[in-house]
Amino acid sequence: MKFPWGDGEQRKKELSEEISRHLQMAARDREARGESREQAGAAAQRELGNASMIHDVTHDQWAWTWLEDLLQDLRYGARTLLKNPGFTIIAVLTLALGIGANTAIFSLVNGVLLRPLPYAQPDKLVGTTQYYPKGPLVVMRQQSHTMQLVGVSDNKEFNLTGTGDPVRLIGNSVSADFFSMLGAQPGLGRTFHDGEDQPDKDRVVILSRALWQQRFQADPNIVGRWITLEGEDREIVGVMPADFRLPSPKTELWVPLRLDPRDSGNYWGDSYMQLIGRLRPGATLEQARAELKTMRPMVLAAYAWRMPVNSFVNSSVVSLEEAIVGDARGKLLILLGAVSLLLLIACANVANLLLARATTREREIAVRVALGASRWRILRQLITESVLLALLGGALGIGVAVGGLSILKATLPPDTPRLADVALDGHVLAFTALLAILTGVIFGLVPALGASKVDMTTTLKSGGQRSASGGNHRASKLLVVGEVAISMILVIAAGLLVKSLWILSGTSPGFRAERVVTARITPNELFCAVAGRCLAFYDELLNRTRALPGVNNVAAVNGLPLGGGAEIFPGVIEAHPVPDGAKVPMFWEKIVTPDYLRIMNIPLLRGRAFTEADSGADAQAVVIVSKTTAEHFWPGQDAVGEHFRPKWEQQWRTVVGVVGDVREFTITQNSAEWIDGVIYAPYGPHAIRGSGADAPPAEMTLVMEMAGDQAQIAGELKNTVASLNHDVPVSQISPLKSWVGEAMAEPRSTSALFAVFAALALSLGAVGIYGVISYSVAQRTREIGIRMALGARRQEVLLLVVGQGAKLALAGVAIGIAGGLMLTRLMSKLLFGVQATDPLTYGAVAVLLMLVALAACFLPARRAMRVDPMVALRYE
Amino acid sequence: MKQRYQNRIELLQGTLDLLILQTLRWGAQHGYGIALAIRANSGDILQVDTGSLYPALHRLERQKLIAAEWKVSENNQRVRVYRLSAAGKKKLAAERSRWAQLSQAIAGILGPAGQESQA
Repeated sequence: MKFPWGDGEQRKKELSEEISRHLQMAARDREARGESREQAGAAAQRELGNASMIHDVTHDQWAWTWLEDLLQDLRYGARTLLKNPGFTIIAVLTLALGIGANTAIFSLVNGVLLRPLPYAQPDKLVGTTQYYPKGPLVVMRQQSHTMQLVGVSDNKEFNLTGTGDPVRLIGNSVSADFFSMLGAQPGLGRTFHDGEDQPDKDRVVILSRALWQQRFQADPNIVGRWITLEGEDREIVGVMPADFRLPSPKTELWVPLRLDPRDSGNYWGDSYMQLIGRLRPGATLEQARAELKTMRPMVLAAYAWRMPVNSFVNSSVVSLEEAIVGDARGKLLILLGAVSLLLLIACANVANLLLARATTREREIAVRVALGASRWRILRQLITESVLLALLGGALGIGVAVGGLSILKATLPPDTPRLADVALDGHVLAFTALLAILTGVIFGLVPALGASKVDMTTTLKSGGQRSASGGNHRASKLLVVGEVAISMILVIAAGLLVKSLWILSGTSPGFRAERVVTARITPNELFCAVAGRCLAFYDELLNRTRALPGVNNVAAVNGLPLGGGAEIFPGVIEAHPVPDGAKVPMFWEKIVTPDYLRIMNIPLLRGRAFTEADSGADAQAVVIVSKTTAEHFWPGQDAVGEHFRPKWEQQWRTVVGVVGDVREFTITQNSAEWIDGVIYAPYGPHAIRGSGADAPPAEMTLVMEMAGDQAQIAGELKNTVASLNHDVPVSQISPLKSWVGEAMAEPRSTSALFAVFAALALSLGAVGIYGVISYSVAQRTREIGIRMALGARRQEVLLLVVGQGAKLALAGVAIGIAGGLMLTRLMSKLLFGVQATDPLTYGAVAVLLMLVALAACFLPARRAMRVDPMVALRYE
Repeated sequence: MKQRYQNRIELLQGTLDLLILQTLRWGAQHGYGIALAIRANSGDILQVDTGSLYPALHRLERQKLIAAEWKVSENNQRVRVYRLSAAGKKKLAAERSRWAQLSQAIAGILGPAGQESQA
């Protein structure tokens, strides 16, 4: 078969020949019957009709003409749009906003959720949902037939010394085959060799490209150089390329795990880490899940001590993408949902514009119908026009998306997973194009269906001035109601989030952030391993810092609240013995110097605070507990005087005080779900270490109470630390307030996004109401004129018009409330201190929407009020 | 203007197709010849509109119910001649019985001519 448009010209020529032959034969027959040659020719011509028309209609039978029609429709559509620049600009801008916002959010979804991970065969990569120590990793690596498992520690910090100022770097310990499992190639040098995660063979390190460039001036001969990390010498064996960002974009270096079973506390106990892996050929995710379950008893049996029977019981295997993205998925999908509602509003607005215009085009359409255009043909023409409009909007929308995306990337917290992968790529552009076409069909269909139904006779007779387009007007009212309802939902969602944020910022995190400046002091663990060396260092540091100008007081803590870190360990309460095999309660421990509670303004509720004496080596070991912890373990009793000990110790420690709750974990949580209590221990020999180590923690954070709000002590503090030990980095010198602000970044960015959506929705909704009411006023000018001629007062006319708008808005608000009740439940995870059905928010938003709607009605209403009855009646 | 012709075809479509197929049963014929034959066989009642005839012929050709080829006429002119295909023959048989049913049914509803005036 020949390609349909390939032989089009040939067919056209033959068709002309066929028709002219017909004409000749007819003329010859007439001549044979005795007509003159001229007469016969003319009569045959008359009988045949319009030859070129017949030619065209016949040619149409050969399909593919739809393409010609499409081009024709496009040309016609473009002409129509150019003729109405006002309409076109408003419609295109509205659509550009809607489509642009969707494109921006979709590129986030695409980059974070959809795009495959940039590693070999990414669909085979998996991760465990729970963390495991090194011992279980080694057991499972030996046992698993479905997966090649590797361990990846969370971000850790390393002191780099001996190359300029000491600095704190972020790195991860990984299994030796971490890189080869992923199929990742180094940019320079090599990745780890097998066996380099064994003790004494692990003195190697791989740098990130960024670290190599910033700290080592992109030295091409870096491989083979030795550097000092945490007091240990390591050889640089490779540099990874910039696009390698596992496990986190912050990672600056990788070192091998040290698999040393002799260090059993670390090996089996506190080296919890994420396991990731690659499915072996032929293995499925389900098999891997099942295998993980069957390996659990072997893992527990490998322990030298008895583990709680339900250890690791909730662990499962998921795709690596899911393991990386985690909670971000839900939030992104909610954003996508919200932004698609916004697009619906934009569609409704443009559909309304088209409906209004369809009335003025009735005559044009009636003429086309009269000339023989079928309904389908008209429909197609109108839809082509709206798709053209949407494509223009989409093209402009890409510009909106580029701007929106850069704002988005700046607004979202930098630890949003895979944020660096987000870009406007081919997938996103394809999505935009598809969205634009779909949008064009959606908003074009209703007006086009209405317009193509036009009653030719009445329209043409009435001169097209005023025909009863009641159907159209009903449709546009429905659209406005829908639009208000959707705006209502978006504004409610934004209202709930903003209220959450407001409550959040109003809620005390449990401590005072004003006039406190913090700084991280991070000697090596090795430095502190020598008994007493670290204690003396901090003792002297605190004394010298206290003497610095502007510093009123100073204390040290092992980690700031709001996720700044803590020691986590299993503990036993004397009053609550744990049955063998049951889960031992886990504790979150703040190791503090005596002034910490005072500087942070954490209230002492019962008992006493720590004193210098509590830090003495021969002092009795004491702890302080938080209010919730006291109520949890000693309900209705006084916790002071009760006893507590870490699981591995024999001696009981006495609770000497109860203090107020602090948001230790995140801005919304006092502690994680799996933590049973928060306790404070004095810095010194009695600090409890999660690892069971004897020495107090090396890394401490100074909290300095300042005379003013100034943070300008960075230089002096650094000098002070350097004068004590020039290998100790000082980092993150900043006001405590900005630490609290960072903790709020996530809720703040979400509410900001929703606030923007809501503002857009509200203004689009207002424009929609304004458009419909103005249009209705224009349509009813004559009626209003008659009413006024019959004695209606201006206020009555005003009420009439505003009332009409109010009715629509009220219906929309009612539907919006119902929709909001259904939809906002999905976002309850994003809310804090406010229910998804918060009546106050709903009420306030309803009032706001009604006010906006009334304001939008007011302009057309004033126009209606000024109608001059004489002019209006003479108008026709 | 194009559409006006299309509309008329749509009205006549089924019937005109049937008439064309029936006419071609007696042998291959060109468009003008088909028009003449239909007019003659209907006793000059059915005037086939050329604007309907050619679209119908080309539609049938596209549906492979008839086939076309260029032949040289008795006047030594190239004419496009249509003939019935095997599929066309089947289609004609089916359409004929459908038409018979339809006209019988309509006749049944209308009833004998006399009844109307009695009622």
